[in-house]
Amino acid sequence: MTCKKPITLAPVATNSSYLVVDGSINSGDSSLITLSHTVNIAGNARSNPELGASVSIEGSGGDKYTLSSKGNGNYVSAPLNLSSSQKYRLNITTGDGKQYVSDFVPVKNSPPVDSVNYAIVSNGLQINANTHDATNNSRYYRWDYVITYQVRSAFESKLIVINGDTSAFRTPAQQIYNCWLNDTSANIALGSSAKLASDVISKQEISLIKSNSELLRIGLSILVKQHVLTSDAFNYFELLKKNSEQVGGVFDAQPSELTGNIHCLTNPTEPVIGYIIAGGVSTKRLFVDNKSLPATWLPDLSYYNGCALITELYDYIPPGAPAGFIEHQVKEYIYTGIETPIDTVLNPKLGVIATKPYCGDCTLRGTNKKPSFWK
Amino acid sequence: MKKIYFTFILFFAVKLLHAQVSKNISVNFQQATIEQFTGELETKSGYHIYYDHAQFDSLKITLQVNNQPLESVLSQAFHNTTYHYALFESKMQVFLTRDKEIRTQPAAGYFNVKPGQTQPVAPSQVIDFTTAPVKAPVIESTIENKLYEVGIKTNQLKAGKASVSGYVKSAKSGVGIAGAGLYVANSGVGVTTDQFGYYTLSLPRGKQLLIVKGVGMKDARRQVMLYNDGDLNIELQDQVTTLKEVKISADKVANVRSTEMAVSRLDIKSIKQVPAVFGEADVLRIVLTLPGVQSVGEATTGFNVRGGAADQNLILLDDKTIYNPAHFFGFFSAFNPDIVKGIELYKSTIPEKFGGRLSSVLEVTDREGNKKNFAGSAGIGLLTSRLNVEGPIVKDKTSFIFGGRTSYSDWLLKLLPEEYKHSHASFYDFNLDISHQIDKDNNIYLTTYLSKDNFRLNSDTTYNYSNKNANIKWKHNFNSRLYSLITVGYDGYKYDISSSANPVNAYKLKFGINQTNFKTDFTYYLNRNNTLDFGLSAIYYKLNPGTETPNSASSLIVPDKVDDEQGLESALYLGDKFDVTPDFSISAGIRYSMFNYLGAQTVRTYAPGLPRTPLNVLDSTAYSGGKVIKTYTRPEIRVSARYNITDDLSLKASYNTLAQYIHLLSNTTAISPIDIYKLSDPNIKPQYGSQVSFGVFKNAAQNTIETSVEVYYKHIDNYLDYKSGAKLVLSHAIEQEVLNTQGKAYGVELSIKKTTGKLNGWINYTYSRTFLKQDDPTAGQLINGGAYYPANYDKPHSFNFTGNYRITHRYSVSLDVTYSTGRPITLPIAKYYSNGAERVFYSDRNEYRIPDYFRSDFSINIYGNHKVHQKFHNSWTVGVYNLTGRQNAYSTFYQQQGGAINSYQLSIFARPIPFINYNIRF
Repeated sequence: MTCKKPITLAPVATNSSYLVVDGSINSGDSSLITLSHTVNIAGNARSNPELGASVSIEGSGGDKYTLSSKGNGNYVSAPLNLSSSQKYRLNITTGDGKQYVSDFVPVKNSPPVDSVNYAIVSNGLQINANTHDATNNSRYYRWDYVITYQVRSAFESKLIVINGDTSAFRTPAQQIYNCWLNDTSANIALGSSAKLASDVISKQEISLIKSNSELLRIGLSILVKQHVLTSDAFNYFELLKKNSEQVGGVFDAQPSELTGNIHCLTNPTEPVIGYIIAGGVSTKRLFVDNKSLPATWLPDLSYYNGCALITELYDYIPPGAPAGFIEHQVKEYIYTGIETPIDTVLNPKLGVIATKPYCGDCTLRGTNKKPSFWK
Repeated sequence: MKKIYFTFILFFAVKLLHAQVSKNISVNFQQATIEQFTGELETKSGYHIYYDHAQFDSLKITLQVNNQPLESVLSQAFHNTTYHYALFESKMQVFLTRDKEIRTQPAAGYFNVKPGQTQPVAPSQVIDFTTAPVKAPVIESTIENKLYEVGIKTNQLKAGKASVSGYVKSAKSGVGIAGAGLYVANSGVGVTTDQFGYYTLSLPRGKQLLIVKGVGMKDARRQVMLYNDGDLNIELQDQVTTLKEVKISADKVANVRSTEMAVSRLDIKSIKQVPAVFGEADVLRIVLTLPGVQSVGEATTGFNVRGGAADQNLILLDDKTIYNPAHFFGFFSAFNPDIVKGIELYKSTIPEKFGGRLSSVLEVTDREGNKKNFAGSAGIGLLTSRLNVEGPIVKDKTSFIFGGRTSYSDWLLKLLPEEYKHSHASFYDFNLDISHQIDKDNNIYLTTYLSKDNFRLNSDTTYNYSNKNANIKWKHNFNSRLYSLITVGYDGYKYDISSSANPVNAYKLKFGINQTNFKTDFTYYLNRNNTLDFGLSAIYYKLNPGTETPNSASSLIVPDKVDDEQGLESALYLGDKFDVTPDFSISAGIRYSMFNYLGAQTVRTYAPGLPRTPLNVLDSTAYSGGKVIKTYTRPEIRVSARYNITDDLSLKASYNTLAQYIHLLSNTTAISPIDIYKLSDPNIKPQYGSQVSFGVFKNAAQNTIETSVEVYYKHIDNYLDYKSGAKLVLSHAIEQEVLNTQGKAYGVELSIKKTTGKLNGWINYTYSRTFLKQDDPTAGQLINGGAYYPANYDKPHSFNFTGNYRITHRYSVSLDVTYSTGRPITLPIAKYYSNGAERVFYSDRNEYRIPDYFRSDFSINIYGNHKVHQKFHNSWTVGVYNLTGRQNAYSTFYQQQGGAINSYQLSIFARPIPFINYNIRF
């Protein structure tokens, strides 16, 4: 009855290019600030990085830390130890000379994450975090995460092509059957204990992974990062979440203008997107093995659609070919990298079984080095 | 037959008497009864006078005659009455008869008497009569060809006018018929019955022909001999073939005749003919087919009248205020179609007796229980079933009507995709009304309503809401010119949200509105040209704007309560419907409304000229219980006028001002069950509205086609819009979350209705615009830079066709076609990458529109046979909602999923929805 379907909306023609400030001022670690500009909503570009800016962190006591450009709009500071008695702000001068400054924000250090656990719910795996602050000062929390998950190629390649003219058996370090991929949080996870008698966050949903997700095929490890926010920052991220994730439904709030805490000094009416927070992050890691998940949860392996084994011969004589014509299929298809070798074959003739690279080589998606934290 | 029979009895009972010479006599009767009259004449003349006492008991004779023959005395006494005398001189006998004349002579013309020649009547000195101290009994009129005598009968018909009043009732059930029209043949005089079927009509004394038209009733005529003020009840026969017509109005000439503008009356039969989404007639959905009425989408409970917000409609069920008029996300209206008699929607000329809302008054009227027989009906649909029972408690005096509905919709929700599968929704509602006639002049009505909704939208959060209403009305007729209606009632609306999935956060949020009402309405028929309405009303509000409590023992939720709000809204009103000439009439009224915001309450004062933020709070004052914190008063003007250019063409104009003291705060598109109600307080001003409208009304083809063009302009002050990112739930300082806006709306409405014939229905086209503007710099934030922006429900073009074609008396088909411009939405103007995903940047509010809306619905009504006297009557309704399956957009939006922004469209009914409904009446 009710139906939500993708459509193409007539693009809204705007040439706006507002500065977007993403990231936070971290205590006890380096701070990564990513600067970009808004782009046309119908365009293919995800963002338009601001490359020529100078960025610095300024304490209310007057100390100043400059961030260095790492390209692609990323600006990184040296690890900083922020003082809880000070407030900090961000100064930005963009390549076109415009000056931006954030409000001074207090340092909010996160209490430890008590635990991260999971719950099996009807439509998937819910990752929950639990925390508390005995001093009752934290109250507003935000989480993001990095999920590392294992993928497995459709076929296990035992052979490796060497120098484009011969093949050898793979060593364990050369295996391309098992790989590890990272997936970062796209949805904003927020939680508040403001209404509670004590500063306790219980079973706060951080992520919901669909039961047929490839993330659950073998196993995953999730690193949950916890930030503590001011109530203003909480309101900002809540509205950002509503505007981008909770829209369109019958009882969903209407989207609204979002005002962050960064201002353009050169042109005070120019909107600036972003909200700078400062503080220390606490983290916790959880490993989930597929064996502990319901057996009825089958992964969606549509990535491997079209995967098949092909036999390539060293001397292939096509039917009706002129006398003396021999096609060196292994050289033509495998040594050139068009196909990934799986194993040797003797029947009907000497050859190599191969598959398309995306079916046999998981390094096209991730790393074949098992992460140190992997169980 | 009876009278003829009596006449003959009399005739044969005649006693023979000795002949006697007639002599002149002198008499002086003052309000003499027939006994006094005949006794004196018998004594003085020596004649014997015969009559049937029962026929003459209402006759009062005032006559002074000096020295005239008996015949002359009789002639003067009965002149201009329906009484006749026959004088047999030879036998010294006089026979008095009513209606039938005993001729003592051959018929006129027998002896070549010219037609039209009449006996000259000797002049008499008649002393002016006075009203009889004893009231004439109420006349129950059921027959068309009979001449009913109204008022204390006098032998002399006085010049001037008298008033007739009484009830127009159904002959079958004895229930009053509201909105029936009474017209005096060959004159422009006419009235409409009130909600109880009561009418008062002022007309010239003498013989009059009344034409009575009631919705769903056979047209009737009554011949009336009007002597004096009196009562006449008129019983109408039900129209047995119920397929006949969609009636928009009780009165085919009301379109051009009444001063009211933009009033839509619909009876339940018309409502039932329009296809509804799940096959059950829907009172609210039909309102959306009327010109000037919009809604933001399909799954909404609210409607917008002429650019007003959804909370600016006063929805009354028999004078009970219904705060949430919908069930099941708005797919069903709260009104049981088996109980409802009809609806009236006032969108421009709002009578002065109504107030408290800016845009419209929707009056839903329940039927009265059948006063003669037990009856009932039941209906079975795909999602709901209904039952109603009615009947007399004391025959012809006291009756009840009960209606109940319940839903069983979970099976349907289980068929939905996974994301909705674990939802649950159910509702029930009950109506119980009792009406009691104490005596001719006093009636008491008790009406009650109870509804409860419960739903869960695929999460552990449960929503409940409930309407509870009851009132008692006492209608008292002081005399035929003045009557009063006193209403005392309670209206309650409660809603709550609870969740207990996470024991630590388990909560229950409760909200509520309680209002106690008192109202007196008087109607006084001053004279033929003036009808006065006056009265006073008071509503005491007690609102619970939000209470949060832990919902489990281990919950850490700290109980939180926003202070209860109290207020008293009272009003005095006076209005006059003044017929200046038969072609020109004016309704003018004033309503003086007052609102007191009462303690106990804590009120914050803000620094003048600065945004209302926590930083700018100057002071906070705590007021004790019952203390008047703030008083607002407002004279509201309600004027309308009508001028008839010709019999079927009229011009109408109206001007209205209104005030609203209770506000609905919502930042969702549709009215959601968790929106917050707020009374006006020192920081939140009342909403004020004014509207001017002008219309041309033309009837064609013997009043069977009604056309109208209406234009309006409306201005609204202090409409509350929310700030970007406003938090409305459990806000202890809600004035910091909202903005005062101004609104303006204008439009033109074209309407064509065909009310009779095999094909009937209506076509409406509306062009309308609605804009809001927020340019108060003290609000701290200007929406769209302080410029006018379109309201959520601004849909410039709107077209509606509703038609019914009767194939035979057993089959009819209905088609409903709706088109409107898509509603405005806020779309992002840019995207960016932040916080791990693509995000969107929104700027100006409501700059874009969703695709246009188009829907057609079709239904076939199949009735069992129409034998009047069989025990059960069956009917089936089969149809398809959204026949073309068009995927109308409820909303279009950009949403981040899996890190990327994509555009989506949400449709509520994305395919044809077939439905079937079975009804049985007994």
